[in-house]
Amino acid sequence: MMPDFTQTGKSEDTTSTTKDNVPVVVFKNVSKQYGQISALTDISLAISGGVTGILGMNGAGKSTLFKIIMGKIRPSGGQIRLFGEDPWKNQSPYARTGFVPEHEKMHDWMTAIDFVTTFARLNGMTREEARLEAERVLTFVELADVMHKQIGRFSKGMRQRVKIAHALVNDPDLIVLDEPLQGCDPLARTSIMNVIRELGRLGRTVLVSSHILSEIERITEQIVILHKGRLLAIGNLHAIRDLLDQHPHKIAIRCEQPKRLAKDLIDIDEVTTVSIPAKDELIVETKHFGVVHNLLPSIIVKNNHHVWEIDNPDDNLQSILEYLTGGLP
Amino acid sequence: MSEETERAWAKLDRKATAIAEFTLRQYRTRLSTWVVLSVSVGAMMLLNLFYLDFMTTELRMNDNDGDSHDYDGDGYPTGQEILLGTDPFNELSYPEGVTPDPASKYINEDDFDWDNITKDSFQSIGYDDDGDCTRDGQLITDSQKDNNGNLIPCDIAVYYSNFSQVYIISTDGNVDEDPNEDKFGKEAIHRAYILSVGKMGIVYLLGIFLPLFLASGLVRNEMNDGTMHFMLAKPISRGEVLLYRMLGYLGIVWPFIIGLCILMALITGFLGPGEGFFRFSDLGVWVSICFAAMLVSMVYGMIFCVFGILWKQGMVLAIILAAWELGMAFVSVLAGGDTYIQWFSVIGWGLMIVDIGAALNWQDLPILIEMGNWHGGYPSENSGCYYQFNEAYDICESEKLPGTEPLEFFASTHGLGVGNWLAAIVASSVLVIQAFLAWVIGQAIFKSKEMEV
Repeated sequence: MMPDFTQTGKSEDTTSTTKDNVPVVVFKNVSKQYGQISALTDISLAISGGVTGILGMNGAGKSTLFKIIMGKIRPSGGQIRLFGEDPWKNQSPYARTGFVPEHEKMHDWMTAIDFVTTFARLNGMTREEARLEAERVLTFVELADVMHKQIGRFSKGMRQRVKIAHALVNDPDLIVLDEPLQGCDPLARTSIMNVIRELGRLGRTVLVSSHILSEIERITEQIVILHKGRLLAIGNLHAIRDLLDQHPHKIAIRCEQPKRLAKDLIDIDEVTTVSIPAKDELIVETKHFGVVHNLLPSIIVKNNHHVWEIDNPDDNLQSILEYLTGGLP
Repeated sequence: MSEETERAWAKLDRKATAIAEFTLRQYRTRLSTWVVLSVSVGAMMLLNLFYLDFMTTELRMNDNDGDSHDYDGDGYPTGQEILLGTDPFNELSYPEGVTPDPASKYINEDDFDWDNITKDSFQSIGYDDDGDCTRDGQLITDSQKDNNGNLIPCDIAVYYSNFSQVYIISTDGNVDEDPNEDKFGKEAIHRAYILSVGKMGIVYLLGIFLPLFLASGLVRNEMNDGTMHFMLAKPISRGEVLLYRMLGYLGIVWPFIIGLCILMALITGFLGPGEGFFRFSDLGVWVSICFAAMLVSMVYGMIFCVFGILWKQGMVLAIILAAWELGMAFVSVLAGGDTYIQWFSVIGWGLMIVDIGAALNWQDLPILIEMGNWHGGYPSENSGCYYQFNEAYDICESEKLPGTEPLEFFASTHGLGVGNWLAAIVASSVLVIQAFLAWVIGQAIFKSKEMEV
């Protein structure tokens, strides 16, 4: 079931180690059951260093995986080790971990600096140390100018960055981000992605989950794909991408004049079919997604089309999953 | 202290103050906190209105011994006839050439003048203010002047029974037989008010109401919101989180209770009866009420917070416990120290502390209650309206002096069979241990709780 990709990313087989010679995160046959339902089945993984994308549809088990890493829930079977310790029994690994939860709820009444400072103190810092650290990380996530404002007034993207700042405050070796890009506007996405890439460059181990392939693609090549609680693939995204590009693809475009755009697009060799399901929507099918995706912006700009929205990225992961599972549901 | 332990302590201290401070600030930003606190103050002030009403309304004066009445219709009140040696029941016998006194002169004419009651096994007290016992004349003999047979004429003998811990009052006739209802009643009602508001209002109701709304969601709300993740993703054990959250809770509840008790002490101290401008004698009782409420709110807070961790609808468990505690509060008030079932509660120990405070600060409390029951001896406490003056208006109504019943109802003994100070230490320790056990159990539950949200 698991295709043999050229594994340029780090995975179970190529266990890199941190300074104390223990992989940062180790899953050994971990499973989690809720009654009859299996949220995770037999996950074995070892991750150290670099940014790893955890990809999966909603309900694939990404959040369950992170909850186990963060010691929120106990695995039903198998072993989990964080810096060599069992996080359910021992909180010490969290001195070296930063966590960005998926939840939208935050302490809206606090200012960004207060929030980060307060939780920094839980790492054992004094008030002054915590404050200096908080200023440092808030500057790192580019919130220095608004750090004295209440979190409740922040946009979604700013809130995400506050959470990231709070996770970075203890200068952690492991950073876990649960869907950090969800609901953010493009500008915020770019800024958050830059932060994550920067962390990877600094040699931290970063786990970031998403159900949107294109997002992960812009951050890292090293991915783990979860599907229905199982580990479907570990490896390099490019290998998967190349395979996938040969696969039929759909691109949905919402625009003002779909007929005019359709005329322009049908001329591209790689486009197989174009259909107009609604009066402001266009669906393009292609076997060379990458080519079409690259051509699209220039066509739109050149012919002055009014486009509101392009593609449903879910389809991309969906098609990878379909491909990997051989079309089984 | 080694450098290592010092550093560990400093870290612990930083985490503790960080969470406690955070919790305090979180309370401050919530409207519900201010609503709960205002409602508490409002309720207390409403009760104070009743108290104010009692303190400013003169209580009805009863003629306990019936001597203001002119039974024979000769124009002279009975008291005057007795003093002057004429027959109060014979129309033809009256003091000639003397102006009749107004009847009001013979109401409350012989009040209690018992000060400095101690727990000696025997004491002679009382003074015949109106002279209807000490007078010489054909209607009273020396033996009648010494009914209680203690060889002291016209006094009241008080025995304190160490065995049953009650005062036994044995009187000569016509001594302190017509006490001042207003004076006694205000004193008794004042003390009954402090005890009732202290026990049921502050220690029980506030002790349960504040934690019910402020502590039940202390951990649960954060679990539901998912904001607990921020805290639990830090190198800190869940047991510590629970403990420091509680510190934050106490940081708001304890100052509030202290403030409220000070306010209540000031109001009752200035409005209360007495010659001085302020009743300093009550302060110690208020301290015990405040202390008991602080401990009780701590125990309930910890228990309710743990209920919240245990179950989403922890409030239901809290309300069930509150009902049990209410029952125990009544058992404790009704039975005083005579029942041990209150030992299986929180409130029983809390109320015990108030009783100890009252016993230490109002040493005359048992004799005050006895005096109210004795109420001048007319009619005899045990024999109803048998006396010759039973036709006199309202004698039978005044079975007890006003305020005696509520005072008797709300005053109890701690019933631990040890001295007051030792009992205070025992009761406080029990409450602290209860809170500690709740924490031990709570952190075990919290640690085994899988956080799904």
